[in-house]
Amino acid sequence: MPDVSDTPAPELDDDVLVAVRDLSTRFFTEEGQVNAVENASFEVRDNEVLGIVGESGSGKSVTALSLIDLVDSPGEITGGEVWYRDAELAAEFAGSDAVVGDHVDLQRVPATVRRSLRGSSFSMIFQDPMSSLNPSVTVGEQIAEAVEVQRRAKGNPRRTRSRTQGYGLGRLLVDTLVPTRSYADEESRARAVELLEQVGIPDPADRADEYPHQFSGGMLQRAMIAQALAGEPDVLIADEPTTALDVTIQAQILDILRELQESGETSVVMITHDLGVIARMCDRVGVMYAGEIVERGRLADVFDDPVHPYTRGLLGSVPDLEDPSTRLQPIEGNVPSLLDREMPEGCYFADRCPKAMEDCRQPVPEYDTGTASDEHAVQCVLAEREYDPAVALDGRDETGDEVVPSE
Amino acid sequence: MLSDRVRRNLASEFRGSILAKLGVVLVLLVVFVAIFAPFVAPHDPTTQSLDNAERPPLGIVQTEQRTTSEMVDGEVQTVTETVTIRPDAAHPLGTDGLGRDMLSRVIYGARTSLIVGVLGTVLAATVGVPVGLIAGYYRGRIDDGLMRFADVSLAFPSLVLAIALIGLWGRASVAVPDPFVAAGFAQEMPETFVLPGTVIVVVGVVNWVWFARIARGEALSLRDQEYVTAARALGADDSRIIAGHVLPNAITPIIVLGTVQVAAIILLESSLSFLGFSGTTLSWGFDISQGRDYVSSGQWWIAGMPGLAIMVAVIGINLIGDWLRDALDPGIEGEGGA
Repeated sequence: MPDVSDTPAPELDDDVLVAVRDLSTRFFTEEGQVNAVENASFEVRDNEVLGIVGESGSGKSVTALSLIDLVDSPGEITGGEVWYRDAELAAEFAGSDAVVGDHVDLQRVPATVRRSLRGSSFSMIFQDPMSSLNPSVTVGEQIAEAVEVQRRAKGNPRRTRSRTQGYGLGRLLVDTLVPTRSYADEESRARAVELLEQVGIPDPADRADEYPHQFSGGMLQRAMIAQALAGEPDVLIADEPTTALDVTIQAQILDILRELQESGETSVVMITHDLGVIARMCDRVGVMYAGEIVERGRLADVFDDPVHPYTRGLLGSVPDLEDPSTRLQPIEGNVPSLLDREMPEGCYFADRCPKAMEDCRQPVPEYDTGTASDEHAVQCVLAEREYDPAVALDGRDETGDEVVPSE
Repeated sequence: MLSDRVRRNLASEFRGSILAKLGVVLVLLVVFVAIFAPFVAPHDPTTQSLDNAERPPLGIVQTEQRTTSEMVDGEVQTVTETVTIRPDAAHPLGTDGLGRDMLSRVIYGARTSLIVGVLGTVLAATVGVPVGLIAGYYRGRIDDGLMRFADVSLAFPSLVLAIALIGLWGRASVAVPDPFVAAGFAQEMPETFVLPGTVIVVVGVVNWVWFARIARGEALSLRDQEYVTAARALGADDSRIIAGHVLPNAITPIIVLGTVQVAAIILLESSLSFLGFSGTTLSWGFDISQGRDYVSSGQWWIAGMPGLAIMVAVIGINLIGDWLRDALDPGIEGEGGA
């Protein structure tokens, strides 16, 4: 685990909204320690879409949850920094080492402050719209509730926000005992209808009074987006927002997200395993494998000129419409278990990598590829030198195919 | 508050089930009788009349051998004669050993049972549901602490615990004025009604565990629902999530358990009264304990009538509980009998 206090303060550009540095999230389960996210670093810039792509179980969703501080027991963020640009917050913590310029390290401020940023600064859309809305509350009420939470929070000064968010015990009792009393007032309801209209739901005023089971999957996902927009967040985290939807609806949802990002002040973090979504939506992309971000950079740099064999493998497993005759090249093997005691030294991909070399058993630093945009970083020895079959990893012949061990 | 779907399920289950209808009829009967006791009861249930003692219910003629002895010329002579006791139309269910009207006592006893059953259940739910929701929502040490405590409470026989608590706190009873009599109706009826305060608290304390367990189980599964995570991501705090997102989705099994618990608590109250711990003398359990001595000498109705009343009430409530369970939540099994 990196020692937080000793790492030098990062140099952050002004257009960096969120900068994640060496973020590690672990789960302490009965089977052992699981390193779900390991030393992940990436940046979210103003008005950009950052894509995080990877196989199932590569730590994409946990990265998203870590960003918004929603990792739940037995998981824990064990290290790293999340720098978030907020002048107001920076002024509040001025003088502490949690502030650099306008950026504040959210891992070093109290948990209540982090919580107060949910909804208003960070917001999230989830994978399965069917289960992401409370089935016993009308859609409009749920969105209005999200609006109301933020409206009340913003009505209070920053310092007391974390305490006054939500509601007090007396209020809770009254609301529970008197079912006709609504948490949200008329203003918030009107705003909820507006939001529903914004995400393209027809007859928003009528639909707002319906329950989630009366909505279709695509409409629910729109409602989810409307709910996530209630607090006018700076960063909208979309965790596989289209996975549960059919293709035509997928396209509509992606259009909505794209419009939001183009029109407003919202940056989007798009978590997906769908390379097509990444190619269509994202300005920047990070490729995750076994909890690490193995390659990141501008979309064009990463997709057109991938360095890491895993990135190449991912791109190689997408069918080419123009030349369907070429065989797909799947990556052999599976994502390794993320159990700490089973993780190898060095590169986690080495066992599946067609170009693994002896040096891959040593810890691999993140290299800059030295492209013109100088934002293309990769965690692979191939960034520095060519593959040399002479020093190929044990158990492989020169073609890179694995030799079946005799047991 | 109830969604259309829930209403539809309730209605269709009700139409298809004779038992559900029977349960509703029985419970409505008991509730009606309990509320309007001063109008329904033919006599003041506390008025004694030794001339009328031990009268059998209508339709039953009781004969008994009475042995009297007297001194004749310095010798004891025993005379055995057969006495016929006929029922009195004024006392359709007969009278007890002190000549009190059994029907009136059963009717007034329904009040005690229902009030204790409902208030005790409400109290048990008020304690148990929040404890269970908190344990299930936060998991970890809080969960371990609360639920191990609940398990220990559960391992303790509820009747023994109840008796111990009553011994500890004493039998506090509150005399509540009867609203109908106070309003000027049915002046011949008792003016006050004794609310067995300690018993209500005790049955609540004894039975909260069932609610805690159900609520915890629901909270455990609901906390991992995405809409709970979504609510957290949107900035809602824990109290809002528990009250607004977990509780409403956990309410169905809690309601079903509540109905079953009313029946269980009525039984528990009767057991306590039978053992003499109730604090009121107008209770089915108390009457059974009074009538116990008469069973062997033939006056079975003194204990039998209140026993029958308990049976009707408990069966009725349990049938309603089954109906609700089948209609609302087919997944859960009956649990929590005392």
